[in-house]
Amino acid sequence: MGQNLLDRAEGSQAARAGDVALEMRQVVRSYGTGEARVRALDGVDLTLDAGSWVAVMGPSGSGKSTLLQCAAGLDGVDAGQVLLFGEDLAGADDRRLTRLRRDTVGFVFQNFNLVASLTAEQNVALPLRLAGRRVGGAEVRRALDGVGLGDRGRHRPRELSGGQQQRVAIARAMVAKPKVLFADEPTGALDSTSARVVLSLLRRMVDGAGQTIAMVTHDPIAAAAADAVVFLADGRVVDRMERPSARRVAERLASLEV
Amino acid sequence: MFTLSLSTLRDRRQLFAGALVAIALGVALVQASLHVLTSVSDPVIPAGLSAAERDEMREGFVGASVVMGLQAPLVVFLAVFVVGSTCSFAVAQRRRDLALLRLLGAGRGQTRRLLVTESLVLGAAGALCGAPLGVVMTWIQTRVLEQVGFVPAGFQPVYWNWGAVLAAGATGAGIALLGSWNAARRAGRVRPLEAMADTGAAARVMTPGRWCAGVLSLALSALLVAGGQAADPIGAITIAMALSVVGAVALSALSPLVVPLVARLFGLVFRRSLLGGLAEANIRDGARRNASVAAPLITLVALVLGLSGALGVLARSIGVEQERLTRGDLVVTSADGASAARLAGIPGVADVSSQLAVPASVTAKVRKDGARAARPHTFDERVVAVDGAAYERARTLAPTSGSLADLHGDAVAVGPAVSAEGFSTPRVGDTVTVTADGVERVLRVVAVLPETLEIGDEFLIAKDALPTALLAAAPGESIVTVAPGASVDEVAERIRAAGIGDTESVAQWAQGKADVQQDGNDKVFAVLLGLAGVYALIGVINALVIATAERRTEFAVARLSGLERRQVVRMAVVEACAVATIGLVLGGLVAAAGMAGMAKSTAAATGTAIVVVPWGTLAATVLGAFAVTVGAAVLTARAATRERPAALAAART
Ligand SMILES: Nc1ncnc2c1ncn2[C@@H]1O[C@H](COP(=O)(O)OP(=O)(O)O)[C@@H](O)[C@H]1O
Ligand SMILES: [Mg+2]
Repeated sequence: MGQNLLDRAEGSQAARAGDVALEMRQVVRSYGTGEARVRALDGVDLTLDAGSWVAVMGPSGSGKSTLLQCAAGLDGVDAGQVLLFGEDLAGADDRRLTRLRRDTVGFVFQNFNLVASLTAEQNVALPLRLAGRRVGGAEVRRALDGVGLGDRGRHRPRELSGGQQQRVAIARAMVAKPKVLFADEPTGALDSTSARVVLSLLRRMVDGAGQTIAMVTHDPIAAAAADAVVFLADGRVVDRMERPSARRVAERLASLEV
Repeated sequence: MFTLSLSTLRDRRQLFAGALVAIALGVALVQASLHVLTSVSDPVIPAGLSAAERDEMREGFVGASVVMGLQAPLVVFLAVFVVGSTCSFAVAQRRRDLALLRLLGAGRGQTRRLLVTESLVLGAAGALCGAPLGVVMTWIQTRVLEQVGFVPAGFQPVYWNWGAVLAAGATGAGIALLGSWNAARRAGRVRPLEAMADTGAAARVMTPGRWCAGVLSLALSALLVAGGQAADPIGAITIAMALSVVGAVALSALSPLVVPLVARLFGLVFRRSLLGGLAEANIRDGARRNASVAAPLITLVALVLGLSGALGVLARSIGVEQERLTRGDLVVTSADGASAARLAGIPGVADVSSQLAVPASVTAKVRKDGARAARPHTFDERVVAVDGAAYERARTLAPTSGSLADLHGDAVAVGPAVSAEGFSTPRVGDTVTVTADGVERVLRVVAVLPETLEIGDEFLIAKDALPTALLAAAPGESIVTVAPGASVDEVAERIRAAGIGDTESVAQWAQGKADVQQDGNDKVFAVLLGLAGVYALIGVINALVIATAERRTEFAVARLSGLERRQVVRMAVVEACAVATIGLVLGGLVAAAGMAGMAKSTAAATGTAIVVVPWGTLAATVLGAFAVTVGAAVLTARAATRERPAALAAART
């Protein structure tokens, strides 16, 4: 009984190591019709272990963003299977997908996507409040403290720098304790110092809280911060590199782009 | 969730202010209409007036209540239309915000509830602001009625009737809720993915609901054009109004379909300028936005042109009808019957038919509005004394029953006005009582004339039934036929020289009748569309302000990519011109369809298809539409580009 409770409490924070967080099997997603038809994903196979951080790389237009969106259940697939902790997203209705967004997945984007009219604190608290949870001020401040913005809680996004906005977005993603965080070029709009701060925060999510991260990036340094790198070209996974280094990633990417 | 609404309110002032203005003014206007309508329908006629003054005043009030009876539904429609489209537009503008909320875990129900709560608060606020404004509007509407002479100077309407205030408030708040309800339902289906697209994936503009509303209203308009053949003026105005309204709804709903065409047109016109291509792309891209701004303009243009065209046709057809019904060369207006009697002695005059207006009252048993039994009713304006045989020669209007040849001795003919005023006509053989100069006489009905477009006279009485002294003093009109071979001009000159009265040709005289009608029409137009038109215009400005305010980021990006502020403003102006064009063309199309219908029905009634293009109104409408949209676009675009572009472009969403 006690063991069971413990299990569940732990399960809501992170899956145990060895579990599979995300599995994509032969996923196809195309856009447009007729002549203009583009296969953004053309049979993608991908497995993400729980508690790991995977970077997705590839030339522009290779399908990175599409892959992320399909994996997170934001976009449907034309063929193939997307399993998030064993749950098939293809058959999920809006209610289940909403619950998924509340409990299981989180997002961070290149352009931050903060609600402009809300303060940093309100932005961080938003997902919890949407999920109908009571939000303590202390919890929110702790999250902002955690990303080094304890003194900026009352600021609105336009009063913050890009790096600070992105840290607010990460605090927002952290406070909901999602099992998987999807990040699309989270450092894309940042200078290298801010980028380094953001990457270390992401590392803390993986190592500290056991969360899983799928991150699209085109920056080899950012990719090297991850546990593994998956390379995409023309909508297919063409390579996978464990324990990447920036130099090896850059070389592999260069070979793909020619 | 409430914090979210409040802070959105702070951040999107224009959006909420726009909706609030639309609701408050709509509520105020509906409230004013209801107050004025009830006041003129049940007027207090001051004591101490003569019978004639009281009658004249009462008649004015009847006219006022008929026109206000048309104005009230028009105002309600406009309020519903403007508030509904403003609120649903305001929701559509927040699509990206809503997508972000969905991305962060908001369910469909939550997004819907957020919007519905907001619109409830907004509707309540609008109703509260609208109530005191309604008092001001009531005052203005009364002054308009007073100005055109429908109500006596100093008329005091009811300023506060709880029933009217509550009904108006409920209308405003209810429509705000309904307008955003539909939009909220659609917003509930916003896909979270849309938050990620940089430009905010263009939502489908032609939704099934829009198609449905557009096609249904279009079919209804077609029915109105084809079937709308009204005999009486109020009927014609009602149909023209209904058509303007339904047609405007149809074309507003379908307007996104023509946006690309207009965009192409502007692209061609501004081909040589740097902004041409950009403006074309923007107009096309903002189909939803531009359609929303154009909607109140389409309605306004359709109403203004449609109504003034219909009223113009009405006046013109009265002239045409009177000219056609009259057989003669000259019409002489004389101050008294004695002068008119001298006409026959003027050399060159072959025939004279005088119609003398004699102060007398007629009491007849008639029915009104389908009341069961015929009751005695006194028509106390005047009677027209004629010589039956001469009248029959000068007027081609054939009686529906009886014969004008019998109009001599103790005889009376029922004129067109009796049925035009809504009474059942007495039948041939019935008797009526005529009181003239204190003497009462019982006369027999020998003929009943049909209704004409002009209201005309109530009763025609044979001259020999009235005292000679009364006839000698009565003013009148005489239709004169000139002898073959004599010159009409010379005869007219002789009549003038003899001091008998003013002469004009039959055509001029008929035109005079048309002009009198047009004067009355202008008053009706002012009452109907005065305040309502201003409201629709505010609706246009409102939609433009909402549309432009939401483009701050877009403008900022355009400036970062090299456009000067001046160029951005100019781009907004080009777009405003495109919107004005859409409004004018589609609104004009509705008015033209109405005109086609009227041409058909007048052809049936008068034998001539009558088409009136209100050129003056048209020119004013075109200039006004461009002036207002361009003015509003310049101001809002300047306001939207005041901030440094870098700050705005960075703070997306
Ligand atoms: N909404 C869309 N409509 C049409 N084509 C799209 C859409 N989204 C992406 N694509 C196309 O799919 C391909 C992959 O896009 P994306 O996943 O965004 O690439 P990446 O993120 O790797 O740059 C591209 O060719 C792109 O043009
Ligand atoms: Mg991408």
